[in-house]
Amino acid sequence: MAERRIVTGNYAAAYGALLSRVEVIAAYPITPQTFIVEHVSEFVNDGLLDAEYMPVESEHSAMSACVAATATGVRSYTATSSQGLALMHEVLYVAAGLHLPIVMPVVNRTIAAPIGIWCEHNDTMAERDSGWLQCFVENNQEVLDMVVQAYKVAENTKVLLPVMVNLDAFILSHTVEPVEFPDQKDVDEFLPHYDPKHAYLRSKDPMVVGSFASPEYIQEFRYQTEESTQNAKKVIKQVNDEFAKKFGRDYGGAVEEYRMDDAEVALITLGTVSATARDVVDELRDEGKSVGLVKMRWFRPYPTEIIRDIASRVKALGVYDRAMSFGTGGPNYMDTKSALYGHSTIPVLGFLAGLGGRDVMVKDIKLMFERTLEAAKKERVEKEVTWIGTRGVQP
Amino acid sequence: MAAQALADAAFVEGNYAVAFPWFGAERRGAPVLAFTRVDENKINIKTRVYNPDYIVVLDEKLMDFVNVAEGLSPDGMAILNSPLDPEEVDLGKSVKTATVDATTVALEVLGVPITNSAILGAFASATGLVSIDSVKQGILDIFGPRIGDKLAEKNARAAAAAHGNIKIGKCKAERKYPEAKKWLPTYQEMPLSLATKPMKTDSGLVGPGSSVDNKTGSWRTFTPKYDEEACTNCLMCWFYCPDSAIKRLEPPKKVGFDMDYCKGCGICEEVCPADAIEMVR
Repeated sequence: MAERRIVTGNYAAAYGALLSRVEVIAAYPITPQTFIVEHVSEFVNDGLLDAEYMPVESEHSAMSACVAATATGVRSYTATSSQGLALMHEVLYVAAGLHLPIVMPVVNRTIAAPIGIWCEHNDTMAERDSGWLQCFVENNQEVLDMVVQAYKVAENTKVLLPVMVNLDAFILSHTVEPVEFPDQKDVDEFLPHYDPKHAYLRSKDPMVVGSFASPEYIQEFRYQTEESTQNAKKVIKQVNDEFAKKFGRDYGGAVEEYRMDDAEVALITLGTVSATARDVVDELRDEGKSVGLVKMRWFRPYPTEIIRDIASRVKALGVYDRAMSFGTGGPNYMDTKSALYGHSTIPVLGFLAGLGGRDVMVKDIKLMFERTLEAAKKERVEKEVTWIGTRGVQP
Repeated sequence: MAAQALADAAFVEGNYAVAFPWFGAERRGAPVLAFTRVDENKINIKTRVYNPDYIVVLDEKLMDFVNVAEGLSPDGMAILNSPLDPEEVDLGKSVKTATVDATTVALEVLGVPITNSAILGAFASATGLVSIDSVKQGILDIFGPRIGDKLAEKNARAAAAAHGNIKIGKCKAERKYPEAKKWLPTYQEMPLSLATKPMKTDSGLVGPGSSVDNKTGSWRTFTPKYDEEACTNCLMCWFYCPDSAIKRLEPPKKVGFDMDYCKGCGICEEVCPADAIEMVR
């Protein structure tokens, strides 16, 4: 029988590694991810997890060790945040380029300066072109479930790319809520032992991993990554459906639609704001407003076809971002517009809120819906990017 | 950990519960906030709690400069760590109030003035929302993995001891809290890149020298009692004080204590070779 306990997002992230029977862990602590490192090291110390635990001296080393370990053919795990992810930057490209299916929870924390410890997505958004797949979650159950699912997606032979599981700093990492822990036996059936055919270490069957490549080859390597990323779209849905069948929790795949039947407008959200937005949608629906929620779960690969389909059913879209690409808009907003260009003419509005960990309140989300409803009525965009709750800026 | 233990207690009784902290890059003993939400149904909302049904205050000195009951609903209840009767407490708002001398309970049961477990026992008896058995279970579940089962059991005993020791009444509403002034400049007014020069703002000084305005001695539970006669003026205390709260004085005087900044950590007592410092409540 699956057990239910009340735990933090960090514990759920660590327990996901335990259930996935990871074989090598290399990690370096950073607030607010520290408890993940502590929990997995305890699991290893207490004999609950049969893994090699490497306490490394930096995040750069953590990712390097995971790359090397995975290249020998084992399942590896690390976790980080903010400046730690930035320090991994160059090695992230190595992991993706070598098609090593590492899974890494990233506790999304604002990047200095100014130095802060709270939630912002500018750490992972800066790595969105690294070749890693990225998913965002809204509660602790989803943290645990997505670590397990992430390995299944990453290790699929049509994909073979690393995955970041993004959870909001403090809002999940340090928050306790009830989580159901699947039975190990069921997880073992869902996620069999990692047995790679493309990169491993066997003395009688030698290979070179990570060799030099000249311009005659690199473009083809890049296309391999593009193909894997495109393939991931289908695999994400398959893995979601298989998980739903086995464990009874269906997240909808790359995107979850909430109360989208006959919705006139929708708000596309990332992370924990999706959770609060559910309550806001319920409230606005009770007031007779025709609104729905589109929870962006897998931001890489960006679910282009799904978003085009949603746009064909609504009159306007609002897009929420917790990070800014300065001079243009939030990354989620830009990608949404880019997916729709040439396919849809509905107004698309971008909203920035909650940067640096500022609370995204019910009234903030209501304002996003109000503006999107207005744009649907006027059939035009009056303001592309709205900064909500910024002192000195008219929202 | 107390907010989490309370959530766990409610969860043990079949509810959905969420708890989360709110703190800066501070140290142990500094004022922090924590929130707990309980519902029979799944809780989605992820914001902080702005209008609580219950407030719990672990440090009574906070009530002197924080309007702790500001968002409390009029039908709500305050559970306070205080040796006073509810009628003697002034929250600036007349609400149902329970007091418990959690510091004394904690000192008796735990030997240290950490009151978060004791106050949970008081919360259970004052509100009836969760049973004391569930609170004890919550403490074992949450504290156990962090501080060990033995200490967790001690904390569960502290909760049980506080459970029968509460006074319930209504607090006074005489105090007028000054309107909370916080320096919240517009982006235009904010110094570029936060390179801040000494500046007077609505919430006091900011920039270099601002700690002159920002008295941190209010975190203190214990106060150093100094025996000048026993003191050899070796200055170990002056050297070790992490807050530079020990001052060298003009001879023949030896050292003095700056109570605006002393946080009562007791390091001076620990390092004094002449036993000239004793920490007292």
